[in-house]
Amino acid sequence: MSDNKYEMIFCIINAGFSETVMDAAREAGARGGTVIRARGTAGKEAEELFKITVHPDKEVVMILVPADIKDAVMTAVYSASGMNAEGQGIAFSLPVNKTVGLQ
Amino acid sequence: MNSKGSDTNNKAPIKLELLITIVEKNKSEFYADLIQSYEVNFQLTMPARGTAKADILDYLGVADTDKAVIFSVVRSDKLDDLTYMLGQKFRKIRGGKGVAVSVPFSSIIGTSVYAFLCNATNTVNGGFAK
Repeated sequence: MSDNKYEMIFCIINAGFSETVMDAAREAGARGGTVIRARGTAGKEAEELFKITVHPDKEVVMILVPADIKDAVMTAVYSASGMNAEGQGIAFSLPVNKTVGLQ
Repeated sequence: MNSKGSDTNNKAPIKLELLITIVEKNKSEFYADLIQSYEVNFQLTMPARGTAKADILDYLGVADTDKAVIFSVVRSDKLDDLTYMLGQKFRKIRGGKGVAVSVPFSSIIGTSVYAFLCNATNTVNGGFAK
């Protein structure tokens, strides 16, 4: 399947908040996701300047959604665990060209 | 794109895509090998977990949510064949169900890196520059 019917949302959050993200995403219409453990890095000077502590243990939540509900899912995810929430997450989406195995 | 010169051998570069394949953990090597056979020189496999809730897993009789995510850099001209083959395997192999999506690269830097990623074997020993 092609022509960008789907989008892949990547959400990078502090470890332990993947369920918060998924609950919000499900409420907005997502079906499921996959979680990868990761490690964050940040410049020491930037951390001191902006008075932000970057929690190094991260989780990356990947959620494949139909393109028409992408905005709703991203808004829900960001409301639940954006930079102002405890999960301190960022989210972005990438257009998907092809999909296999969804049916 | 450089259109200067009269070199008729100049071809448009092969486009690359990032193929993200999510499969059961114990099938990750099988799928990585399968993908590699489509002129894929660079792959990353990472442990991951699914997000299905415990009550759904109990209902389905599934014990664990352990997954693997395989990131592969694939030539776009090989992608149709590869995704067709993956679809067949996802359907036919017991416990081999998975999902794969492809995302296009918008840019890449470094001639040798590009040649490596698209398996341009004719570019070895300076062929690429001629």
